[in-house]
Order: sequence, then structure tokens, then C-alpha cells
Amino acid sequence: MAPRSDTSKRLSELRMKHGRPPASPLEPKAEKAETLREAQPRFRGLESGHRACQGCGEALAARLVMESAGPDVMVANATGCLEVFSTPWPQSAWRVPWIHSLFENSAAVASGMEAAMKAKGKNTKVLSFGGDGGTYDIGFQALSGMLERHHNVLYVTYDNEAYMNTGIQRSSSTPHAATTTTSPAGKERMGKRHLKKDLLSIIAAHHIPYAASASVAYPADLQRKVRYAMGVEGPTFLVIHSPCPLGWRHDSALTVEVARRAVQCGLFPLVELERGALTNIMPIREPRPVADYLELQGRFAHLFRKDDYRAQEELDHLQALADHNIETYGLKGEGLDPMDSTGMSHVRRGGPLAGRS
Amino acid sequence: MVQLTRGTWAQAGTSLDFKTGNWRSTQRPVHVHAKAACHAACPAGEDQQAWFALLQEQKVQDAWVSLVHANPMPGVTGRVCPHPCETACNRTGVDGALAIHNVERWLGDEAVRLGWDYPVEPPAANAPTVAIVGAGPGGISAAYHCVRLGMKAEIFEALPEAGGLLRSAIPPTRLPRNALDGELNRILDLPGITLNTRQRLGRDLTIDGLRAQFAAVLLSPGCELPKHWSVKGAVPADLHEGLQLLRDFMDHGALPDAAKGDVIVHGGGNTAMDICRIMKRAGAKSVTLITASGLPGPGTAPDDIINVVPRELEEAQEEGIEIIDHATVSRLIMKGSRVTGVEIVSLKKEAGKDGRKRRVEFEGTERVVSVDMVVPCVGEQVEPEAFEGYLDGAYFWPDNPFGRIADRVFAIGDARGNRGTVAAAIGDGRLAAEAVAAELSGEADPFADERPVMELDGLNTAYYAGSSRARVAKLPVSERTFEAEIEGPISRSEALAEAQRCLSCGNCLACDNCWTMCPDNAVIKTTELAMDGSHYVFDYDYCKGCGLCVQECPTGYIQSVPETA
Ligand SMILES: Cc1cc2nc3c(=O)[nH]c(=O)nc-3n(C[C@H](O)[C@H](O)[C@H](O)COP(=O)(O)OP(=O)(O)OC[C@H]3O[C@@H](n4cnc5c(N)ncnc54)[C@H](O)[C@@H]3O)c2cc1C
Ligand SMILES: Cc1ncc(C[n+]2csc(CCOP(=O)(O)OP(=O)(O)O)c2C)c(N)n1
Ligand code: SF4
Ligand code: SF4
Ligand code: SF4
Ligand code: SF4
Ligand SMILES: [Mg+2]
Repeated sequence: MAPRSDTSKRLSELRMKHGRPPASPLEPKAEKAETLREAQPRFRGLESGHRACQGCGEALAARLVMESAGPDVMVANATGCLEVFSTPWPQSAWRVPWIHSLFENSAAVASGMEAAMKAKGKNTKVLSFGGDGGTYDIGFQALSGMLERHHNVLYVTYDNEAYMNTGIQRSSSTPHAATTTTSPAGKERMGKRHLKKDLLSIIAAHHIPYAASASVAYPADLQRKVRYAMGVEGPTFLVIHSPCPLGWRHDSALTVEVARRAVQCGLFPLVELERGALTNIMPIREPRPVADYLELQGRFAHLFRKDDYRAQEELDHLQALADHNIETYGLKGEGLDPMDSTGMSHVRRGGPLAGRS
Repeated sequence: MVQLTRGTWAQAGTSLDFKTGNWRSTQRPVHVHAKAACHAACPAGEDQQAWFALLQEQKVQDAWVSLVHANPMPGVTGRVCPHPCETACNRTGVDGALAIHNVERWLGDEAVRLGWDYPVEPPAANAPTVAIVGAGPGGISAAYHCVRLGMKAEIFEALPEAGGLLRSAIPPTRLPRNALDGELNRILDLPGITLNTRQRLGRDLTIDGLRAQFAAVLLSPGCELPKHWSVKGAVPADLHEGLQLLRDFMDHGALPDAAKGDVIVHGGGNTAMDICRIMKRAGAKSVTLITASGLPGPGTAPDDIINVVPRELEEAQEEGIEIIDHATVSRLIMKGSRVTGVEIVSLKKEAGKDGRKRRVEFEGTERVVSVDMVVPCVGEQVEPEAFEGYLDGAYFWPDNPFGRIADRVFAIGDARGNRGTVAAAIGDGRLAAEAVAAELSGEADPFADERPVMELDGLNTAYYAGSSRARVAKLPVSERTFEAEIEGPISRSEALAEAQRCLSCGNCLACDNCWTMCPDNAVIKTTELAMDGSHYVFDYDYCKGCGLCVQECPTGYIQSVPETA
């Protein structure tokens, strides 16, 4: 489906205002941009100057989402890193209407915003953002209600697999065996004892038009999913795997590499569901051992201790979980596929290879 | 100071007031255009990455123009160069080196076929004239670069025709004469180049005479004097030295009668390889090459590999040439003054007491074979006659990259003892011309290009799709003659597809990765070229120095440097 408001007067006004190139030759060009930054051929919904850590996966993910969703959107944002690093009073990194209320109610606030827009006869799309804590855990019932009431909202959860903003506490999204401050690896336990919650299946059970997982390692795929969701009338849901160099304890330069390996080993499957049915997956060309993914991160360092007999067992457990994902979703690719976990990365002169004819 | 009231809200995008760039503590990303590995390895100085980039944009003629900025004879080098560029190519470690020489040859042939103009202007009437001795590849390249740099060139060649060893020694099966002439004549026809044939320095001219008359003198006489060869003092009466045999064969197509029998060729370079193949094709019963070097293989040190074009070696073996490597001729068995057999002994380069390698013969490995002819191919040196006072032993040994051996006198090509390829002669010609141009306009010698080389470990190969090297047809052994070219051409579509395989080592390919993946929006894309030639600018006001773009840049064009630098 084509982006809904491409021809609307409002969108072209916004394009002018934000210095975005015209959508069609008929649309007037933006007035001459003053600076290189203003002349960027993309919408900068989340601007520079935000206080995210170096190499923050969540900042990257949100920037990518805003680029393909904006400019005709408004955002409800749950408490968490994204909210905190983007809006240190009196500044804001957002260039769209943006509301923060509580940790637990982003989806409820978004529901109200959407109803208000509807009442005003506007079709500005409402986005609802939350971390994994704000989504898998405390905001879950607000989210479930929003989906059930069928609001026209795109909910995005930035999954960095712990409560990062308050100092790396475990969430129901923290993967099995990861160390956090509340699931420390040590004599008693090898990190978190429980499993990562399979949120997507729960979302799917709401029978909503569209739900998908994405990763910062595959920006083109991520942005395609955002654009697709923007075109859907009704509730849509996106979970984005967003490495956190601080909480996962990896080099800030490796954010994308870590995310890529998570997909390539099968621990973070990239899938799309419509009305609860699996409609698309990103196949894995050659599944990598989970150890390739885990070894880059300090939160799994205890799994590589040669002097602890439990380490190998947990590694094998994580490998089994990855294999299970590959099996359940049918992720094993067959031959070369430009849209698989290897092909999607490929570039050539002038840009990404996938999706080009 | 902003006055904040209770009802105030933050204005959109106001975080720009907060310059997160001051969070960078140790490292910052910068654009570094490192040398591609192929470029660093090319003796002619071609920047293959640059012309492949143009081919990737389908700009075929521009690619050729970029190429001939360094090497005016791609049709020749594409056929005869041992292509160290391909050995160095970073794609070797992925799925096979780029077929650089094949694409180079295709570009050269296209230029001849379509008559593309060399990127030179006619020199001014009063432009300085440079004298060039020898019209081999070194001299031709020097003349071309003189004209490219606004000077005139006057070439003096002893033989009736230009081309040097390209014409007199390299067999047409490797370099068809129409391909050679097509390219050579277009260069010689350039305005500002004069060729004087049958003019021999030493006989018709002197260096000092030329120095008095011309702005500078460039010497590219090659090596004409065979090095002395004997086995423990013995020399057969009917000795035929390899290069001379080859030249005679080129001139009148005949070989001595003994070449019909069992032949041993002693040596290890291109001459040895070519004469082996010609004698075999002319009907020798057997041809065996005895070489002190090793055949390429996992166990052979790079400095020990036989110094020939790799595919020539393959083809020679296909054609039935026997090769005994790591061996030498230790004794000639003579009947009167005629050779009837040779004794062969194994040997290898071993490090001596001082650490320097020398050849050690292994006692007890001697074996005797009967032969009808032994052909030494142990190399040549400069014919000293014309160059008294300038030679340093057998060769010229300039102490600078430009070849300067005296005031405004330069030596290039094979006459410098450590050269030996067409590409090296071409590169020397360019460097000498550049030094002359600088000197004549009162400038210092040009800067050496000391940029770092981009190796495979500096690339992020996750971003490159696999694709295999173009395969080129070869004449089957049964159809090989003395004339027909053995290696086939590649088509336009194959050449363009091959160009797409280039990884753009060390130079931006505008993939947008950095622009797409910076979490801080600190990479700015520009329509105009940025100062470094890319389309991207770092906004250090906001770059936090995370290093993500450094890691995800496929080409290594973004590098991390200490913040203080
Ligand atoms: C059989 C053979 C095969 C080879 N195959 C290859 C190959 O496959 N690939 C490769 O890269 N290289 C090959 N080479 C080496 C290559 O040919 C030389 O490195 C290259 O030709 C050197 O160029 P040059 O200009 O220095 O000298 P030359 O090509 O030797 O040219 C010197 C010219 O100077 C002229 N001259 C000499 N003395 C005087 C004088 N006193 N006055 C006036 N003119 C003079 C000569 O007549 C000649 O034309 C081969 C060499 C041989 C012998
Ligand atoms: C009701 C309530 N409980 C606790 C908090 C404290 N708190 C703020 S952010 C946060 C964690 C956020 O984690 P997550 O949603 O995963 O987002 P992240 O910071 O990891 O992006 C917590 C516990 C709060 N703001 N409100
Ligand atoms: S001249 Fe030789 S080394 Fe240079 S590009 Fe051509 S084949 Fe490669
Ligand atoms: S991939 Fe291209 S730039 Fe890199 S070494 Fe090979 S030819 Fe040169
Ligand atoms: S990704 Fe952005 S913030 Fe990080 S080093 Fe590069 S330009 Fe700086
Ligand atoms: S990431 Fe891509 S666009 Fe950016 S500098 Fe490297 S090659 Fe160029
Ligand atoms: Mg979190």
C-alpha cells in the first residue's frame, strides 16, 4: 500500500518545513537549505545532540524509525533510555509532537492521542515507543488494550534486553544466561535463569493486522517494515533488536556487528506476522554458532570460562534455543538469496544491493 | 538565558544546542583514502580501484582515460604483464582476485578500436624538448608522459622500428603485432613526439651531445649484452644464447637443427619460458627447463618463485614442457666441442652465516641426461659501449625513485638492474618525466606517495556479495601456432561484471553505510563532492566517536585516529 498521506497538502508543507526532497515532481521544492545538515535528503525526526551513549543501538533504531515514519506523525514515549536521553529539559531531540507520561502507559497515551486526532479529522499517524521493560513487562496491559481496541497506532519496542536506564536490571526480555545487576552470574546462577519472553507470539494472538521483528543490523529491512506498518490502518507492532554497549558490555563500535550476529545465529529471528499468521521471514544463509554472537559481549563472558563446568552446558542451551528458533520459523535458507541474512547486507557503489533492480 | 515558565515545552530539535562532540575522548573518525593493494603493487603505477570505479558506473572511456594517466599501453600490459596487482588484490582472500589484466587489455583494445583520444594537449611551440634513447616500453612511456606534462620528446632508436623487446623478443602468441602496433602507433602519432630510427647512441650520438642539445636526457636502452655463461669453464662451440635464438626466430622464423632433438634450457625468466615453448612448437623431441627457482606452491617462498607470468608457466606445462625446479646444470658432457649430455644437481637458496641467502648444491643428487642442445637464458646486461662514465658495473643504479643518475640525465627500464618487466619500464618512464617536468619549472622533485596500503583486514567483507572471477577462453594446445594469440579477450559485459567485483579498497564507494548507521546523525551526506572527494562529512559537533562507522565502512575509508591529531 502506498504511504497514505503522500499527496496530502499537510505532508507537502511538512516536507517543505523539514527540507525534505519533494515526493513528486509536482510538489514544490523546499526553500534553499541553510546548512549541510538542513539539506540532508532525509527526515531527521530524532536530531543530534541527544545524550545516548556512544554507539547506542536504541538511538540508531529510533533514528531509522523516525526517518521512514515521519514527518506526519506524533509520538507517545514510555519512560526509559530513549525518553531520557532525547529530552533533557529544556531541550528536545524530537522534531515531531512528542508526549511522555509514564513508564507503563505509552500505549494508553497513544490510544488517547489517536482518538483525539480522529475527532479532529486528522490522519496524522500516532507512534507509541517503549523499551523492553516498558513493553514486555510494565506496559504490557496498556499495549494489549490498545491492540484489542484496534487503535490506528504503530507500537515500536526498542529491545535492549534489560532495564538499561535504571542500571541494567533484568526484564522478561533479557535472554537466558545473561548477566544483569539483578541476575548476576556467580556461584548460584549462570546469569538469568529464565527464558526471554516470546512477546511476538502473544502480540500475534491479538490478531492484529501486522507485527514484525527487525534489527539495527538490517536498516533497509527495518525501514521497509516501518513503511509497511505506516500504510496499515489499525494497530501494528514492531520489536527492534537494539544492542546496548553499556549493558551488554561490548565495544561501542560493534553495535551493528553484534546485532548482525544475533540474527545470523538464530537467537533473534526476523519475522513478519499478519493477523497472527507468519507471512515472511529473513532466511539465514549460513547459521553461525551462537558463540560467535555471545563472545563479543561481556554479559555472556561467564559462558566462556574454562574452569566452570556449567559454562558449556549453558552455551549448549543457548545453541539449542537458537536451533529451536530456526526450526520453528523455518529460517534455514536455501541457496543464495539477496534478501537473506547475508544478502541483505550487501552494498555496491551507490548504496545497498537488496531491493535494487 | 531562556526563561522557562510552567507551561513551556521544549522546542523541536533544540538538542542541537548541546554539542555532544565534546564527549569524544580518545578517537575520532576520519576519511582516509589509502592505496588499494593492487595500486601499491602495480609497477606502472595504475590506480585500478579508480578505473574500476568508473567502470562500475559504466563510464568506459573515462575508465580508460584514468588508466592511461599512468600507463599509456594497457593493451600491451594487459597481455604480457605478470600482474602483481592480481597477486596483491584483496579479493584473492575472498573469492579470487579481480581479473585486472583482462579488463585492462579490453580497455586498451577498445581505445584502439574506437579511436579514443589520449588525454594530452599539443605542447607549446617553445616547450622544452627531452631526448629519449631507446623506443622500448620505457622510452615510449617516457615520451608519452613528457607530452602529457607539456614537453616535447625526441626518441632515438637504434633499430628500424620502435617497440624494443615487445617487438624483437616477445612472441606474437602472447602479444599479437597488430595489438602492439595499434597502441604504439597511436602514441608515436601524438603531437610533440618525434621518433628517429636507426640512430644508435655510441655510434651516431653521444650522451654529452644530447645533454648539450636537449633539456634532459632519458636513457632506456634495455639490456643487450648476454651475460657470460659457462659450466665450470666449459662452453659448447655451437652455443646459442636464448634471447638471440628468440630474436633470430622472430626475424626469419628458423631454429638451428639441433633444436629438433632433446633440448635443455637453463634459466628461469620470460626468455627461458618463451624459447622453451617455441622450440617445442617447432618440433623439438623434448624440452626441459632447469631452473634454480621453485615452482609456485604452498611450500615455495615468494622470493623463490620462478619469475615468469604465472599463466605462461601453466600454458608451458600444458604444452608438455618439462620443468626441473630447484636445480642447476653442474657439468657439460661433451663429444669434442659438441654437447651430448648434462649433469644436473639439486640446489636451493639457504640462509648463510650472515643471514643472506645463497644457493647450495646438494651433493649426491647429480644425475646425467643426454641432450642435443643446451640453451642458456641467464640474462643480459647493458651494452656498455655508449654509457661509459654513467654505468655502475653492469647496470645503472640510481639512488632515487626518478632514475636520476646525473644532472638532467635519467635511466629507466631494464637498464636499471632490478627491473625486468614492461610495467616497471612504463612506471620508470612516468616518474622520470614527472621529475624532469618539475625540475624544468623550477620545482622540487614530486612527492613520493606514502599513503598506507589498504589490506584485506581493513575491509568489512560482510558487505560484499560473492561473485566468481571472469573465466577467459584459451586456445587449446592442439590449436596453438606461432602466431595465434593464446589467451582470449573478454566481452564488454564480462568486463563490466568483473568491475562490479572490485571492493573499492581504501576509497569510498558511496554505499551510505556510515550515513545510515550513525546513531548520532553525525554523518552528513552532500550532493556536491566534499573536500576529500567523497559525498560525506563528519559533523564533529555531534560525533561521539563511537567507532561504529569505522567498523561498518566496507572499504576501510573511515579510520579511527587519536583525538589529539
Ligand atoms: C623473451 C622475453 C620475454 C619477455 N616477456 C615479458 C613479459 O611477458 N612481461 C613483462 O612484463 N616483461 C617481459 N619481458 C621483459 C620486458 O620485455 C622488458 O622488461 C622491457 O621490454 C624493458 O623495456 P625497456 O624500454 O627498458 O627496454 P627494451 O624493451 O629492451 O628497449 C630498449 C630499446 O632501446 C634500443 N637501444 C638499445 N641501445 C641503444 C642505443 N645505444 N641507442 C639507441 N637505441 C638503443 C633497443 O634497440 C630497444 O629498442 C620479456 C623479455 C624477454 C627478453
Ligand atoms: C512505575 C515506574 N517504575 C519504575 C520506574 C523507573 N524506571 C525508569 S526507566 C526504567 C527502566 C526502563 O527499561 P526499558 O523499558 O527496558 O527501557 P531502556 O531504558 O532499557 O531503554 C525504570 C525501571 C519508573 N519510571 N516508573
Ligand atoms: S600493468 Fe601489470 S600490475 Fe599494473 S595493472 Fe596492468 S597487469 Fe596489473
Ligand atoms: S578489490 Fe579492487 S581495489 Fe581492491 S585490491 Fe582488488 S582490484 Fe584493487
Ligand atoms: S558512527 Fe557517528 S558518532 Fe560514531 S564515530 Fe561515526 S560519526 Fe561519530
Ligand atoms: S561507509 Fe560507505 S559511504 Fe561511508 S565512507 Fe565508507 S564506503 Fe563511503
Ligand atoms: Mg530495555
